[in-house]
Amino acid sequence: MFEKIVRWSRKKSPWILHLNSGACNACDIEVVAALTPRFDVERFGVLLKATPRHADVIISTGPVTRQIKDRIIRIYEQTPDPKFVIAVGACAMSGCVYRGAYNIMGGLDQVIPVNVYVPGCPARPDAILEGVVKLLGKL
Amino acid sequence: MKFTVPIGPQHPALKEPISLRMTLEGEVITDADVRLGYNHRGLEKLAEERTFLQNIYLTERICGICSHSHTTCFVQGVEKLMEVEPPRRGLYLRFLVAELERVHSHLLWLGVAGHEAGFDTFFMYTWRDREVVMDILETISGNRVHYAINTLGGVRRDIDEIQKNKILGSLDLLRKRSEYYLHIGANEPTFVNRLAGVGYLSKKDALALCAVGPAARASDIPQDVRKDDPYGIYAEVPFEVCTATTCDVLGRTVVRVKELMQCYNMIEFLLKNLPEGPVSVRTQRRAKPNEVVSRYEAPRGENIHYIKSNGTDKPERLKVRAPTLANYPATLLMLKKGYIADIPLIFAAIDPCICCAERTATLVNGRSGEERVVTFSELRRLARERWQKAPIKKDAVWPF
Amino acid sequence: MNDMETIEKAKALLGGKILEITNPAVRRIFLRVAPQDLVEAVRVLRDEFGFAYLATISGVDIGENYEILYHFANKYTQLNVRTQIPKAEPHISSICAVIPGAILYERELQDMFGIVVDNIPDPRPLVLPDDWPAGNYPLRKDWKFQRPEEKIPGGKS
Repeated sequence: MFEKIVRWSRKKSPWILHLNSGACNACDIEVVAALTPRFDVERFGVLLKATPRHADVIISTGPVTRQIKDRIIRIYEQTPDPKFVIAVGACAMSGCVYRGAYNIMGGLDQVIPVNVYVPGCPARPDAILEGVVKLLGKL
Repeated sequence: MKFTVPIGPQHPALKEPISLRMTLEGEVITDADVRLGYNHRGLEKLAEERTFLQNIYLTERICGICSHSHTTCFVQGVEKLMEVEPPRRGLYLRFLVAELERVHSHLLWLGVAGHEAGFDTFFMYTWRDREVVMDILETISGNRVHYAINTLGGVRRDIDEIQKNKILGSLDLLRKRSEYYLHIGANEPTFVNRLAGVGYLSKKDALALCAVGPAARASDIPQDVRKDDPYGIYAEVPFEVCTATTCDVLGRTVVRVKELMQCYNMIEFLLKNLPEGPVSVRTQRRAKPNEVVSRYEAPRGENIHYIKSNGTDKPERLKVRAPTLANYPATLLMLKKGYIADIPLIFAAIDPCICCAERTATLVNGRSGEERVVTFSELRRLARERWQKAPIKKDAVWPF
Repeated sequence: MNDMETIEKAKALLGGKILEITNPAVRRIFLRVAPQDLVEAVRVLRDEFGFAYLATISGVDIGENYEILYHFANKYTQLNVRTQIPKAEPHISSICAVIPGAILYERELQDMFGIVVDNIPDPRPLVLPDDWPAGNYPLRKDWKFQRPEEKIPGGKS
């Protein structure tokens, strides 16, 4: 019974943490634009949090550079269970145009396990919303 | 008592990862330092293995907010290497998109500045108006960001009469709303009070540290590549260089708002005088061995590309210097003698485009050496509390 | 003053230090000096011509030598100073005493090419990560990167 309430609250109001791992910023402004009045992700109960310890979902953009790899792993470990990861944009999926560079790991799933991939360069705010909603449907 | 605060890669306020270390004495910052490299993607090495046409798409993704600046700067240089001259209609369309990008970037910055100053309503208003500009850009090019409208020898798409009238109609709406923001800025004492006196950069320091863009223009240096070294069609389009004399964050806001109004006039001029003709010419694949320096005024400052070719269809060397890198030494100077509560605002005031972050700050007690990590949101909360209790300065006015 | 006047004045003030001077396009001047005359030439350019604004410093690997370009600009024109140093002895002196804003560009030059900048006020690396193996300079022409095998989660590698 208690389990059902907890799962219902997690589904109705996921709190997200926005992480930028070396991206060009286009996907990041689309994530922030998803909060503005036109697309308004807050009607789904989604709230942007500042610290990993309060977050349920990590939204990450950008190809992972070598310098930030350890910090990402540390942030992933600081987030309490159960946690989900959304990789937004073609860079987080496989590296986009930077594939083959010497400072790039080649996609977010080389570093931490990913649940949802949202394609696009950059991914439109509508697509990001659809990704978040699909994740909620799986819960 | 001295603390050293590392403002590290993950941070909710600024959207890009860099790491700053600041030494504090009480609440006053005495020293600041930067660690770049979280965003280093090895682009210059990648550019040597791709042809000129493929490099247009690579340079576009250096930065998402000023992507058109990087492609135009690159394409201008390569067109000089290949000795082709794009047709006039193509040039007019290219710089129409450039001025629209400047509008969208300044509105974005106004929203971020409002958010850092605690004025969230302003953030929501300006980003709602930005959607009008994104719709115009989507009608012209097909995408909201990364327009990919440049090609070697001109532009890829043309606009027709219906689109032209729609853009002129939206311009009226944008003008009315921007004047409303001007009115808020001039008559809202808490907003002006929050920005005045913060992040002071004197004219002598700005010249010695080679600052660019609105950060330099707010220190009374009339430096603008569109006037000093006119490229494209800027020799024919009438506009003024906007400066301010207060040398602080309020001056930088004033410069950007004035530039917004200039941009609307320029867009109207470009649309009303659009010449007829083709929009692009064919170019050859290879470029003769030569070198070229291309400069462009991006919304954040001067963008400079150095391209060297060697007779094949791939460049020998591409060197890019984005404007925010040039403003770093000036920012570190501005942070010294400031308050810890002002760190988010000073940093946001140079309009950082560090892809061209996440920050956490580490406060290190200077005397005892113990460390405490605070997040930016905690810093912002401290900032709001501090400023809510501060008295309103009666003589802080909007300098127009 | 236009490009011709700048070139005449430069020849008069710098004299024998200029090895070569060209003007390939409007408002673009290219000047070559020897490495040991660099700091003095930059000082004269800043004081007599008003070239106090340094845009950036580019390094190029041209086979036997490294070529370093300093891009300056003032109200009238844009001037580039170039100098060549041999690969066997890659040393160049810093211009931070004359132009304080050059520090970040010189640090990047050290990182990317392995050029040693003498008298630099702050020699730390700028853009490469902390765990980068020493001795690898990415922008040299003979440095190639072997991409490691990627593992595809949940699939065949």
